[in-house]
Amino acid sequence: MEHFDLIVIGAGPGGYVAAERAGALGKKVLLIEKDQLGGVCTNWGCIPTKSLLNSAKLYKHALESEKMGVVAKAVTYDLPAAMAWKQETIETLRSGIAYLMKSNHVTVVMGEAAFVDAHHVQVGDSLYEGEHLIIATGSSPAVPPIPGHDLPHVLTSNEILSIGELPESLVVIGGGVIGIEFASYFSSVGVKVTVIEMMDEILPMMDGEFAKLVRREMKEVDFHLGCRVTAISADGVSYTDAKGNALQVAAAKVLLSVGRRPNVNGLDRLGMVITRSGIEVDDRLRTNIPNIHAIGDVNGKSLLAHSASRMAEVVISNLYGTQKMRMRYHAIPWAVYGMPEAAGCGLTEQEAKKQGREVLCATTQMRANGRFLAEHGKRAAGLCKVVVDAKTKALLGVHLLGPYSSEMIHGAAVMIESELRIQDVKEIVFPHPSVSEIIKDTLFAIDHTL
Amino acid sequence: MATEVVMPKQGNSVESCIILEWKVKEGDQVAIGDVVCEAETDKSTIEVESSAEGTVLKLLYQAGEEVPVMQPMMIVGQKGEQVSVAPEAEAPEVSGSAPVSAGKASSQEVPVTVSVASAGAQGVSPRARAASLAMGIDPASISASGPKGRVIERDVVAAASARAPLSPVAKEALAQGGLQSPAQGSGIGGRILSTDLTSPVVAASAPLSSDASFPGPMVETPVKGVRKVTAKRMHESIATTAQFTMNAYADATALQSLRQRLKSSPAEMGLQKVTINDIILFAVAKTLKDFGYMNSHFLGDRMVNFTHVHLGCAVDTPRGLLVPVVKFADSRSLKQISDEFKRLASMCMEGKAQPDDLTGGTFTVTNLGAMGIDTFTPVLNVPEVAILGVGGISMRAIEDEEGDYAFIPHIALSLTIDHQGVDGAPAARFLKALCENIAAVDTLLAL
Repeated sequence: MEHFDLIVIGAGPGGYVAAERAGALGKKVLLIEKDQLGGVCTNWGCIPTKSLLNSAKLYKHALESEKMGVVAKAVTYDLPAAMAWKQETIETLRSGIAYLMKSNHVTVVMGEAAFVDAHHVQVGDSLYEGEHLIIATGSSPAVPPIPGHDLPHVLTSNEILSIGELPESLVVIGGGVIGIEFASYFSSVGVKVTVIEMMDEILPMMDGEFAKLVRREMKEVDFHLGCRVTAISADGVSYTDAKGNALQVAAAKVLLSVGRRPNVNGLDRLGMVITRSGIEVDDRLRTNIPNIHAIGDVNGKSLLAHSASRMAEVVISNLYGTQKMRMRYHAIPWAVYGMPEAAGCGLTEQEAKKQGREVLCATTQMRANGRFLAEHGKRAAGLCKVVVDAKTKALLGVHLLGPYSSEMIHGAAVMIESELRIQDVKEIVFPHPSVSEIIKDTLFAIDHTL
Repeated sequence: MATEVVMPKQGNSVESCIILEWKVKEGDQVAIGDVVCEAETDKSTIEVESSAEGTVLKLLYQAGEEVPVMQPMMIVGQKGEQVSVAPEAEAPEVSGSAPVSAGKASSQEVPVTVSVASAGAQGVSPRARAASLAMGIDPASISASGPKGRVIERDVVAAASARAPLSPVAKEALAQGGLQSPAQGSGIGGRILSTDLTSPVVAASAPLSSDASFPGPMVETPVKGVRKVTAKRMHESIATTAQFTMNAYADATALQSLRQRLKSSPAEMGLQKVTINDIILFAVAKTLKDFGYMNSHFLGDRMVNFTHVHLGCAVDTPRGLLVPVVKFADSRSLKQISDEFKRLASMCMEGKAQPDDLTGGTFTVTNLGAMGIDTFTPVLNVPEVAILGVGGISMRAIEDEEGDYAFIPHIALSLTIDHQGVDGAPAARFLKALCENIAAVDTLLAL
């Protein structure tokens, strides 16, 4: 039986980062993965969807760029080519992760881990011993028990990434980030898309007025909010609307994107405390079992790849580093890569009010921004909203809707983490012309003094 | 000539006292014998008198701080006399001995630790206090380099520069005063955020928690005073004795009826406030007279049997568990036991019991009956060989001569003995006699 300092189960953006960081510190590390290096993020999540969404964006721009002087004729969307591009991206990144593991002397074992006890994990016939264990087993798409959920044309975010041809119509059940990104992609490449959402608004983490604008901008998509799906049949989806009317919509394909469930199989035998949302952890990601940490989707704290990677660093810091790091969740940025793109960090106005905080808010239109206007014109949708503590003037939240949002939201994360106030941000120089200037301009809208 | 006034010794077991309240302030005149402060020992609260005459030049501890016995706690001298080395911040080399120690203190060799993070222990200079207020640093958290371990201004400046960077919001909040910053915050790289000023960051080694996450909020309290003594004595008890508990029930019919009669007796007799517990104490004291081996101390190589019963009775006070002793309980009447125990218990509740009131017991009674406890396993008050736990009164079905069952009130008694000093059967004989005496408590009163 081989002994390791650290055994990491799951090679997603939580697990492989933990293995890489611990390996770099000279620890003897075992990384166990049952499917593919990179996990959901690299293989069925962040990366492949970005690849496809970008191809759709190019396609759409080609169709709409005549007004800017570019005339493209006979523009077509070639799904197999887009899929091939996506696949190559995945494989390149995967081999990159394999290289990272090798260069940091991480032992990688492919197979499903069985938990023997708090220090022993079995893969196939091999038993491994670890002083510390990190559980980074991630999450899987939730499949609700709707009648017809097991029909062949009902897909989750995993299967839909390997379809061979575009369906005529697609019904997306669930208007969260995953549902909206796929709705945006398929509608952009000409598929008739319907989104059915149980709540009154899509994208629950987004500021209310932004979500509304996202829907308005996704003109080709039919949104049915406050509706409950009752059954899926071979040719359509039945649902009841808010008033209780039974309705039906035709669907060649159905995407189930109603949430994700933590992968906690086989962990109960360790006596681990697990709730509906995942493994219970504290802010150092410690479980109730002293030598076991749980990071990423499996603990249900923040279902984002970058949260998982940060959690990995916090754990490695506490095991082999300064031991000072704690997981902070108040400034984790998120992004939705649809058309338009959106990103946010920190509190929304609604969340701040719910917490009873007195805040000042300002919203500005991106068309007032030089670069945005130059590239997208005065009719394009774009917003920036800031939420500021009324008393201290510290920045609490930044919300963006428009191109490059995901690329500039880290700036907001820095400001919020550093507890910068309006007057502090005013002293920072933003490059011109850039869409990012809108953040500073929106803060000036709250307070013009210098 | 400045003189140090030390915290006097309070019996053999007292290592330190906590100053509850200063009765004098710097600049006051004191005479020998004047009360200068009230201090709490592990057993009681005492008034500390001045051993010197003159002007109070310096109080070396603040209220709430713990002072080891025989350590200086105050400096008395002539008005205007300089105590704290005056040009402190500028003094490049400060020797460990301040001018004051030249006098009386030299014969006393006060151990002084310089440069320990014990700021509060030896005081904070006025300039350092002002600086720490301005910079929002808790002087108690500063490593002291001044004479006699005192925090001086340069210590505050050093602590401020060693402190993690402040967020702009935190800086502004500190400038407004009234808040103190920890050395490390919860932000990036330990950056101190505004929230760290109001909810202190737990030390790096201790688990930090937020309301929502495991294991939730917690409070750490140093073990001192009564808690420290109780911990030590309870552990010593378990570690050095062979404890063995037996349970029995005494018919409480007579007990309850006596209590009722006393309650409704004429007020001028002063018997209305006699409690069930007082009657039990009385019965225990009387019964022990016939069982000398239960009224003993086990001292390892010898045993001491006491002729008289000095009865300890546990009292739950805001400071923790205290056991005042009713002396010569065997020679007291029920009323006398009741009165004396009430007096002692109220002294304990007010924190005014003297060390003498809390020592010298030969047998202890502890009563949890009022809390609905039936039987339990009392822990011996060493070196006493026995302790009686009194539980609640409950109905027990008893078969009479005719074979009928009647529900009779019974009081639960749990007797723990040290099997090193007493055997089970003799102890059981005592418990049986006690049960019988309680059942016939009226007769006992006549003895």
